[in-house]
Amino acid sequence: MPAETHVERGAFGPDDVFAIIRERLAEILEIDEDTIRRESSFADDLGADSLALIELVEVLEEDIGERTVGFSFDDEDLAELHTVGDAVDYVMARLGTTG
Amino acid sequence: MVSADRITVAIDAMGGDHAPAEIVAGALATAAEIDVAVRLYGRVEDIMAHVPGGTLPAGVEVVDCREVIAMDDEPAAAVRRMKDASVVRAAQAVRDGEAEAMISAGNTGAAMAAALLRMGRIRGISRPAIAVPVPVPGSHPQILIDAGATVDAAPEWLVQFARMGRVYARVRFGIDEPAIGLLSNGEEEGKGDTLRKTVFELLRKEPGFVGNVEGSDLMRPGRADVFVTDGFTGNIALKSIESALRSLATLVFTTLDSTEEAREASTVILPLLLDAAQAYDPDLTGGAVLLGVKGVCVISHGSSTAPAVVSAARVARECVTAGVVQQLRETVTDAG
Repeated sequence: MPAETHVERGAFGPDDVFAIIRERLAEILEIDEDTIRRESSFADDLGADSLALIELVEVLEEDIGERTVGFSFDDEDLAELHTVGDAVDYVMARLGTTG
Repeated sequence: MVSADRITVAIDAMGGDHAPAEIVAGALATAAEIDVAVRLYGRVEDIMAHVPGGTLPAGVEVVDCREVIAMDDEPAAAVRRMKDASVVRAAQAVRDGEAEAMISAGNTGAAMAAALLRMGRIRGISRPAIAVPVPVPGSHPQILIDAGATVDAAPEWLVQFARMGRVYARVRFGIDEPAIGLLSNGEEEGKGDTLRKTVFELLRKEPGFVGNVEGSDLMRPGRADVFVTDGFTGNIALKSIESALRSLATLVFTTLDSTEEAREASTVILPLLLDAAQAYDPDLTGGAVLLGVKGVCVISHGSSTAPAVVSAARVARECVTAGVVQQLRETVTDAG
């Protein structure tokens, strides 16, 4: 394992990741956190365009990267993230591979 | 003489058609001519190649960064991918308090994305907008907003642009109660496409709204102080004005050189015209300001020469001194 990439095991579960995404997305879109659900579509339900998604990705990399060195999104994967749940699953998968 | 409240501007040395030569020359002139310190962001060897004698004067610093975002790069993706790009580092400098303002003449979308992602958005603003002062003979400038930051805009975003334009007109140009016009294809209510018609209804509730205005109201005093539109239309309007002015200047100068009598008359008229024309020269009237981010970001046009950089630095200093960002944060956030 490269020295610069390791994860604190048990640091994040899917519920933690969902909570972070919901909080950050609510800030970016200036909407109530309660309106954001796992099945919410970024574009259709929340009105988040590609730039808003990139804002989200940047803050998630910062938040999660504080506890998980080397965590990042692959830009080529962003087009596949249609719902909040997709993003949660993606982050969990990346955390798994990061470790 | 250096004043106590001297500001520092972060300049993207690698952005623009004439970068880095003209940008560096402009940065050096800025430090020499106006009371502004400069941090130049870019490849140190490329920058230093344009510094006379190879020694930086007082008030100028170079920050080495190795990546450059090209004019044809996809803005947001490039900003994410190239974290060491000159424009990204310049925006970061403002976020980190190393500079009070940034200036870029490079890829406009990248400057916007860098400012947005590094400085963050002002609460109540969904998307930033570019505000450009349009000269008006015998009067204060009109503000055209958005001149190209957000091409596909939602109706609510144009309302936010109107609020920002009103604050900017007041704070920077001292217009007490700026009149807001919605740029459309006719002044009568009901004119315009679906976007314009929706925005018209939303703007009814905004203070200072005077209804639709037309392209022919630009550069003419009376109808409105702030012209609100989406970035697509605004950019076309701005470029059309600039092109028309250039064509008009060519026509005048050609005519003044067309006959012996005209040449004789031009000895009197030409100096007056050249003096008056300065108010319409984009290189001398300063850059456009990106409103809606938590820092001052001046976007200079792609073909910027050294005088344009100096002018952009003046605009940056005015915005910092006037507290444009703070005023926007207080006014627009409350209105949202």
